Amino acid sequence: MLRVKELSKSFKSGETTVWAVNKVSFQVDDAVFASIVGPSGSGKSTLLSLLGALDKPSSGSIEVGGQDITGLGDHRLIKYRSNNVGFVFQNYNLVPNLTAIENVMLPMEFSGLPKSERHQRAQELLNQVELRDDKQLRKPGKLSGGEQQRVAIARALANRPKLVLADEPTGNLDSKTGKLIFDLLHNLVKSQKTTIIVVTHDLKIAGKTDVKLQLADGKLVQRA
Amino acid sequence: MNVVSRGIRNAFRNPVRTVAIVLILSLSIGLALSMLLARQTVDQKIQSVKNSIGNTIVISPAGVRGFEGGGNPLTTSQLAKLTDLPHVTKLSESLNDRLTSSDTNLTSSINPGQLGRRFAQRFNANNFSDSGSLNFSPPITVLGTTDPINLANTQGGGSFSLKAGKVFSSNSSADVALVGLNLATKNNLTAGSSFTAYGSTITVVGIFDSGNQFSNSLLIMPLSSLQNLSGQSGDVTSAIATVDSVDNLTSTTTAIQTALGTAADVTSSQTMAQNVIAPLENVKSIAAYSLIGAVVAGSVIILLTMVNIVRERRREIGVLKAIGASNIRVVWQFICEAVSFTIMAAVIGIVLGIFAGTPITNTLVNNSSTSSVSGPGTPRFGFRLGGGFRQSLNNLHASIGWNIIVFGLLAALIIAIVGSTVAAWFIAKIRPAEVMRTE
Repeated sequence: MLRVKELSKSFKSGETTVWAVNKVSFQVDDAVFASIVGPSGSGKSTLLSLLGALDKPSSGSIEVGGQDITGLGDHRLIKYRSNNVGFVFQNYNLVPNLTAIENVMLPMEFSGLPKSERHQRAQELLNQVELRDDKQLRKPGKLSGGEQQRVAIARALANRPKLVLADEPTGNLDSKTGKLIFDLLHNLVKSQKTTIIVVTHDLKIAGKTDVKLQLADGKLVQRA
Repeated sequence: MNVVSRGIRNAFRNPVRTVAIVLILSLSIGLALSMLLARQTVDQKIQSVKNSIGNTIVISPAGVRGFEGGGNPLTTSQLAKLTDLPHVTKLSESLNDRLTSSDTNLTSSINPGQLGRRFAQRFNANNFSDSGSLNFSPPITVLGTTDPINLANTQGGGSFSLKAGKVFSSNSSADVALVGLNLATKNNLTAGSSFTAYGSTITVVGIFDSGNQFSNSLLIMPLSSLQNLSGQSGDVTSAIATVDSVDNLTSTTTAIQTALGTAADVTSSQTMAQNVIAPLENVKSIAAYSLIGAVVAGSVIILLTMVNIVRERRREIGVLKAIGASNIRVVWQFICEAVSFTIMAAVIGIVLGIFAGTPITNTLVNNSSTSSVSGPGTPRFGFRLGGGFRQSLNNLHASIGWNIIVFGLLAALIIAIVGSTVAAWFIAKIRPAEVMRTE
């Protein structure tokens, strides 16, 4: 279970303090597909980076599986990210000179999984996201946007995380491919028993998720 | 794929940049190796020059040279204090005298020739019998010494060998003599036989061959024996001080001159050799500074390159951190990339160093020795000595050894690590949240 309490993040902009996330509290159960929606600058991506322990909050707490991650030191945060969180980004963020399968193997290498297991699991994951055969050996530049995003999803699932955070995962894709990716994520919630939180502008997509969190000016204005 | 192979692979991500970096870096490493090679070669040359000088100091009574000049002999008691001077490890004393036909029953083995007769006539040598005729017999040179082998070596150019008998001890005072091979043959002397000199009977203890006619016509006796027999008790006409190191030759020469004052002429080859060594020392300094400069330049090149690469890959570093890579792992990957650049550059640099080492060394030495050695104030003997050395300096050959290659690789490693430090600092500063930044 993901439990967020009074979470705030502020930035200094000259003399003024900007609250990107302002006293946000919510709770998401395990194996739930949730979405965060809101206009640009509403704090969606900041909230996502706080949930993924990419950044530290100014105040408040985040509990994942009963563990408060806001008090963890840098070393334990790295371990937390490695073992508990998977990321999917709008522009895929694959390492360009590694093949699809090597990209998927990366998080497993960082978590210390033996090489033979890494290769086998990466193959399985890529098959699961329907990227098969020689495409697994292609570098990102030789794959379409949808295929790259599939690789990114496979990479996010590599270490069997409790939480997958996706920042506009369909933002750079055409509507047809976007739908395919969305459906893939939706299926993964069921098959992997993973909580997925998606940041999106697309209200249609948000409407299909189990939980919808709406942000405005850093505040949670609606939970549906 | 692990962090090392990923680092190596990253080195080839941008082939044009990789070629440019490797070429520039290889020039830097090649120059560093050439300078190291030049320094090593010049250092060896300096050592060989120093070894050729020897570590001895010649002490003569002031104004005396051989049997020429004037002045008063030095004394054993005067010289005794020299053994207490720092760096003096040995002191050999000797007394020169000449035996004419009235002093000895021996006949010189040297054919007087035109030079001998001219010498006898010019100096009005009344004691020389038949000085104007072809049968003129030159006097026999007798040397009293505390170090017979060294003395024979000095006279004969360093090829003393005992043909019969034995060598008397350095502190002997017996009426004995070592006889040069030619003199012994001329007078039918063997080890154990005897002859007369100064009215006494002298026993032949050994026959030596010292490599040339002059030294093989010598008589060598214990110093105190010759002093007593010739009526020159306590007198010394020449001494050789041995110094512990060539590097202390100048200071010890000065110390000996100070101790003996105006009573002695003290000479060593150090001053003359210094004229040859000085430009070599300059080359050594230039090479050392250039070596440091080349290594620093290489480090700066790789440092700027790595900083640039890290800045380009901020987002990628953010991704790696976001998916679980530690700072150390990411830094290590970039160090591997930097090491790959420098290893490639080192290989080319070593080849450059091998080919450029000798020409660079010779150019440095030639330029430096031309401006320093052949000045107008250089003394005649010094000029000849310097000229001889300089000729050999023109043919310096810098040979690359394993130590140089190991140094090249080590320098490359140091350059890579130094060059990666700032990049590592940048990497540590990059937050994983960087990955959320939209461009």
